[in-house]
Amino acid sequence: MSLRSSGLRRMAAAMAVAGVLLSGCATEEGQSSSTGGVTTNAPPLPSPGTTVPGVGTYIPPTATQPPLTTQSYPHTIQDTNASKAVLSLYKQAQDARAAGHADQAEALLERALHIESRNPFVWQALAGAHMDLSQPDQAESAAQKSTSLARGNPYIEAGNWRLIASARQARGDAGGAVQAQARADEIARALSTN
Amino acid sequence: MARKKPRSSFFSFLQSPLVRWLLIGLGLALSVGLLLFTLFLVKLDGDVRTRFAGVRWVLPAQVYAAPLEVYPGASLSLAQLRHELDRLGYRAGDDLTGPGTYVPTKGSLRIDTRAFAFWDAAQPEQRIEVQGDDKGIGGLRVMGSDKTLDLLRFDPMLIGSIYPSHSGEDRVLVKLSEVPPLLPQTLILVEDHDFYSHGGVSLRGILRAAFANVRAGHTVQGASTLTQQLIKNLFLSNERTAKRKITEASMAILLERHVSKDEILEAYLNEVDLGQDGPRAVHGFGLASQYYFNKPLNELQPHEIAMLVAIVKGPSQYNPRRAVKLVTERRNLVLKMMADAGNITPDEYQAAIQRPLGVTPGGGGGAARYPAFVDLVRKQLAGLYQEQDLTSEGLRIFTTLDPHVQEVLENRITEDVPELEKSRRMVEGTLQGAGVVTSVEGGEVLAVVGGRDARYAGFNRAIDTRRPIGSLAKPFTYLTALQQPDRFNLETPLDDSPVDLKLPNGQIWSPKNYDRQLHGSVPLYMALAKSYNLATVHLGLDVGVGKVKQTFAAAGFDDVPELPSIFLGAVDMAPLDVAQIYSTIASSGYLTPLLTIRAVLTKDGQPLNRYAFKLKHTLPEGPVYLTTWAMRKVIELGTGHWATTVLPPGQIYAGKTGTTEDLRDSWFAGFGGDRVAVIWVGRDDNKPTGFEGATGALRIWGKLIRDLNAKGIEPLAPADVDEVAIDPASGLRADPGCGETVTVPFIRAAEPQQYAPCADQSKSTPLNWIKSIFK
Repeated sequence: MSLRSSGLRRMAAAMAVAGVLLSGCATEEGQSSSTGGVTTNAPPLPSPGTTVPGVGTYIPPTATQPPLTTQSYPHTIQDTNASKAVLSLYKQAQDARAAGHADQAEALLERALHIESRNPFVWQALAGAHMDLSQPDQAESAAQKSTSLARGNPYIEAGNWRLIASARQARGDAGGAVQAQARADEIARALSTN
Repeated sequence: MARKKPRSSFFSFLQSPLVRWLLIGLGLALSVGLLLFTLFLVKLDGDVRTRFAGVRWVLPAQVYAAPLEVYPGASLSLAQLRHELDRLGYRAGDDLTGPGTYVPTKGSLRIDTRAFAFWDAAQPEQRIEVQGDDKGIGGLRVMGSDKTLDLLRFDPMLIGSIYPSHSGEDRVLVKLSEVPPLLPQTLILVEDHDFYSHGGVSLRGILRAAFANVRAGHTVQGASTLTQQLIKNLFLSNERTAKRKITEASMAILLERHVSKDEILEAYLNEVDLGQDGPRAVHGFGLASQYYFNKPLNELQPHEIAMLVAIVKGPSQYNPRRAVKLVTERRNLVLKMMADAGNITPDEYQAAIQRPLGVTPGGGGGAARYPAFVDLVRKQLAGLYQEQDLTSEGLRIFTTLDPHVQEVLENRITEDVPELEKSRRMVEGTLQGAGVVTSVEGGEVLAVVGGRDARYAGFNRAIDTRRPIGSLAKPFTYLTALQQPDRFNLETPLDDSPVDLKLPNGQIWSPKNYDRQLHGSVPLYMALAKSYNLATVHLGLDVGVGKVKQTFAAAGFDDVPELPSIFLGAVDMAPLDVAQIYSTIASSGYLTPLLTIRAVLTKDGQPLNRYAFKLKHTLPEGPVYLTTWAMRKVIELGTGHWATTVLPPGQIYAGKTGTTEDLRDSWFAGFGGDRVAVIWVGRDDNKPTGFEGATGALRIWGKLIRDLNAKGIEPLAPADVDEVAIDPASGLRADPGCGETVTVPFIRAAEPQQYAPCADQSKSTPLNWIKSIFK
């Protein structure tokens, strides 16, 4: 991943910087350039009271909200370039959940993950199926995984925080639930003001 | 008077007291005998009724691989698909002649799929045209319609069964109604011509056999009916005594009074002994079909049915894999009888006798194919179910084994281990190897090989050999350090200088670098990439043994001693354990207990248990991302660099070499975007092999990842990670004033603040940047 700057690259960089300056929205050096839209930016926090084995003194940094851009994120899996097979399994899983067969939905979504193991929409739906099956721990983990893979998609992240809130509620962790719901609301607000 | 004399003398003879008593005695004895025999029959009758009603087939659990799923866009070439179909026992031909057949054409495969009851849905037989090329699958069309499919799931491969160890009795239960009619027809024709007319014992059969035997001068034909054979197999011993024969005949007659002919026939089809596979006894035609032909009974062709009926006579003598000539002769005799009886046409007969036996080589079916994997399944099941339930209830176990991945792993181990052995002129057969492949997300165990002879169901080195893991342990020390972003980042200079440690036993431990050199101050990531021992020990001591042990536990392995030697891998693990902890890193810090069993169904297809993906976020993503970045450097420029000669260019993989003292164990563990693979090479007697991780296991791993066509890592920095340009010379921040820069990830807010000497604009602003560029 090494970037070797040649004279040409330097010129290109200069042009790019000039462009940024001209457009009047210079960003401060060192700020994340990978995040584009509304994001919560910090990884999903374990709820207070949850002990995570092996975590040393690491404390995730506090969220720094990057400016809202007009970058459009897919709202649903249908807006993505997911394969037909995954879309079909996802749809079948939705139907199964609606019909009260969450275990079947779970199996269908796991099949979808065999095909696209890093699809955040599928992980989110799996979290939902876990909630239906009264497995809040699994639901929270799957929602976290979905966020990890969401590339900052605020629609997915908001949905995951809502799932995490209800998972924590189901576990009897009211404080954690409020915290998660607040994150969901925060993203929703940012989206609505955009 | 004279005429009456004899009569009177006869009467007088009868009237003599002695004779009269004798007659009375005889009469009494006869009556008692008759009474006793009647009592015997009554008891036998009761016995037959209760014992037959109580016959519970020993139904070993059947173990299935993961089903092959085909969909548009799947990177499975048509040739590969064909290979997989062949392994499933599908037959290529010019026409679709029923389930389990396919027709290859240019650019497509027309397939008649088998119906299969998956735990989540029953899938009917379908005729599908799969279009594709040498790159992948294009589309799926339902034949005879315009309908297309998004996804097609094939029936899974039967890979083994959990049979009782004491009897070895294994079977696949069949119902008479599901059996191709030609099978019972042929069986009756050959074994018991009068089956439908006799009452359990056939006098005609006895006479016919006696005649044939006298004519031949020795026993060529048995006179036992199918009923008698069944009685003998079910309830009686093998001894050849008159008493047993009488009991057998009596029980046969009694059984016929209570049970229908079809029930007797069905029981016979499931009970008959049709071969021996090591400790496993092949019972019944259902299993025999899988065992000899690797396909279900209803797909057998006439010559195959004839062969199975032919070996009923004595499956150890008529072993189709050994006594090919003998079995072929008898099969052809059976075919002749079938043709004479009009059960097959003369044309079919002529075609059938030309065919070879067609039995699959080796142990047959999938049953003996994957001993190491089935061994793992068996061990995991033992903790979940009673032995009795596993061996007799006919449970259906659905596993994660991917036959394609398994085949690739087997090929690598069985080809490369002997090659490595040869390269060092070792005694043939002394070098061993084992490997495990799992999926990155979901933690499914896709393949397990327990030794260089992948078919040998012996010592399973992938699970049972726990060896020191050497430098495979290092990433966990680095990951522990990187969880303290205020103290450590990938560029933090580490001290690669001598270190003396006092052990609890008072001895001094002075580890050395592998190259016996001292490297001074090295960036943290480079110390891992080059696997420097001294820098690692310094780092480990700095963060503390306890914390490193915690990281191991969070990754999924907690049997780690709390000693500094763990920094350099004095931790004993099996390849499967290594796969567990590496998969936690590969899946961004989510611990997913490795899965081999996905679902368990009853014999009637009712779901009993399902084992879903279970994950837990145990290690923070940012530090895991950084550690993975350093492990990528292992391959890019470190000890794993050889792999770049075989891996597809442009794809990113991460891993770590491991070598133990005196070169006893050679390890490589690593991953791409979808697969985690662990390879171990060493000797069973634990003697030195002469291989480092890089010269032994890495060679197998690199080619394995290549052959698996494993996806590269998709570097997706977590939200709390920033990528910063660094001056490689100083490890400090670079700016456009620096010539060469490296982009290094840092936990946000923990990036180096200091600028490198080359960055003459240490307080860089956009304006200064521009100035510096145009200066």
